[in-house]
Amino acid sequence: MNIIVCMKWIPDTSEADLTVAAGAKDIKKDDLDHDINDWDRFAVEEAVQIKEKVGGKVTVVCVAPEDSEETLRECLARGADEAFQVWSDEMEGGDGYCAASILAKFIKNRDFDLVLTGTLAEDDGAGQVGGMLAAMLDIPSSTLVSKIEIHDKKASFLRELEGGLYESVETDIPCLISVATGLNEPRFVSIRAVRKVASIDIPNMGIEELGMDAGQVGQAGARLVIEEVSLPPEGEGAEIIAGKPEESAARLAEILKEKGALG
Amino acid sequence: MIKNIYVIAEQRKGSLRDITWEAVAAGKKLATDLGAELTCVLLCGKGGLIAEQLAGEVPKVLLVENPVFESTNSEAVISTLKELIKPQGSYLVVMGASNSTLDFAPGLSVALDAALATDCFSLEVKDGRLLASRQIYSYKINSVVSFKNSDRVVLTLRAGSFQFSPAGEAKGTITNEPCPIDESKLRKRFIKYVEAEKGDVDVASADIIVSIGRGIGDEPDLEMFQSLADTMGGVLACSRPIVDKNLLPKYHQVGTSGIEVKPKVYLALGISGAFQHLGGIKGSPLLIAVNKDARAPIFRVANYGIVGDLNEVVPALEEKIKSLKG
Repeated sequence: MNIIVCMKWIPDTSEADLTVAAGAKDIKKDDLDHDINDWDRFAVEEAVQIKEKVGGKVTVVCVAPEDSEETLRECLARGADEAFQVWSDEMEGGDGYCAASILAKFIKNRDFDLVLTGTLAEDDGAGQVGGMLAAMLDIPSSTLVSKIEIHDKKASFLRELEGGLYESVETDIPCLISVATGLNEPRFVSIRAVRKVASIDIPNMGIEELGMDAGQVGQAGARLVIEEVSLPPEGEGAEIIAGKPEESAARLAEILKEKGALG
Repeated sequence: MIKNIYVIAEQRKGSLRDITWEAVAAGKKLATDLGAELTCVLLCGKGGLIAEQLAGEVPKVLLVENPVFESTNSEAVISTLKELIKPQGSYLVVMGASNSTLDFAPGLSVALDAALATDCFSLEVKDGRLLASRQIYSYKINSVVSFKNSDRVVLTLRAGSFQFSPAGEAKGTITNEPCPIDESKLRKRFIKYVEAEKGDVDVASADIIVSIGRGIGDEPDLEMFQSLADTMGGVLACSRPIVDKNLLPKYHQVGTSGIEVKPKVYLALGISGAFQHLGGIKGSPLLIAVNKDARAPIFRVANYGIVGDLNEVVPALEEKIKSLKG
């Protein structure tokens, strides 16, 4: 079973204070830590678990500049067999459609059975690359997937719907599966595991190696144009109860009592 | 210039999902603003009744009936919509953003050679140009996007962003279209629906909910939160990351993918306020947020907020509640 995992390298914005960069086309990213997109970490783990069960090879690919190498190495330490960094300067400013086109070029000439991705990335929150990529590769795809079982050229799994409902689905292999978070427990990566993969070469591939031209990537290849990004208006929002923790907690308890929320 | 707007209806088990009406609302507005014709497309097993519901709101309904559409099989949906829509050459395709459309909208955009903007919370036509607003970077930043080629666009719309109540007065036409796909050739097959495991805590009907999220940290003191919930006479619930980390079972999870709740009080502890979570909270409860990140989106929707450390605020809150309760 040859499994290709598409991993996205993103700024960690979940608890950071964000500011809009000059020109209002993006946020300031210099001070932000970058990491593996959380959803993709589950995809890497799932790929390695499938390999451990049925045998095969796990390849991780990331469309991102040089600084992403550390996260690719983390994927190797997590059990992936090889990792590729795909980047040319021309790729800067691309959208999800560009990313899918680049990944399709990378995957097309490889021998693969499964492509795994996370369903969403926390930066764009679009959930689009998996489905686009599958359409470009002409293979079936599914999102929000858990409980994957592989048996003889078929994959069966659950897809998450709304309100605690799931659908049980089966697809032929090759296929693309975009996983849900929580479908496994990503393993702890020890320092020893990282040392073990320290010497593995992580090749870089650019647009020439992929057989693409500059017009297909970056802003030139994008289908969306970012007009403006902004911090949402503060608006109404919550009444913030200020003070030391015990003071604000006490005030909150009184508010709960006034509102009849303490029974 | 776009002449055709297609709203894709979403049904499950033979009933229209509410988000369809929001997509109809957005589609109608865009049809007016762009001077385009509005068509609603319904793919389902047997669709007579819901097709009539839709025809009460839009001028034209295309109905494709086939047993394969009893579920939303993305492969079948993409091929069918491609056959129906692509020959028009130029189109704007609009649908709700849901776990079902997430499965086919990206593939559909490639099949239709169209641009895609997902999970849009606002749409605008300015000087004849379509602009869509989305949220990026952990839902903390608003982004307005336009389309390089606005002749072919697919949009999915965030639930709760486009208001509409069906009036049933449109008297639209219903056209039955033959199903263009060969079911036996599909590489993806729906097997059955599966209900999530039910637990011993009934979060759905609780009046008071203490809910925890990612912000409780990696080694949280769950007892502390359970104890607060007990003191308040409520139940302990959570957002997705807590279930992902196996800290609480799935039947505690509030959100669009989890349980819908309708409490009187919702105390959100360390919950950032992603819309998937907020989407599960109905009936405008007294919403209180405690979070160490002053920029957390939850503070934009909460009634009251405390910016602080949960390990300090929560025990102090419980103690004060105990003394007030006597």
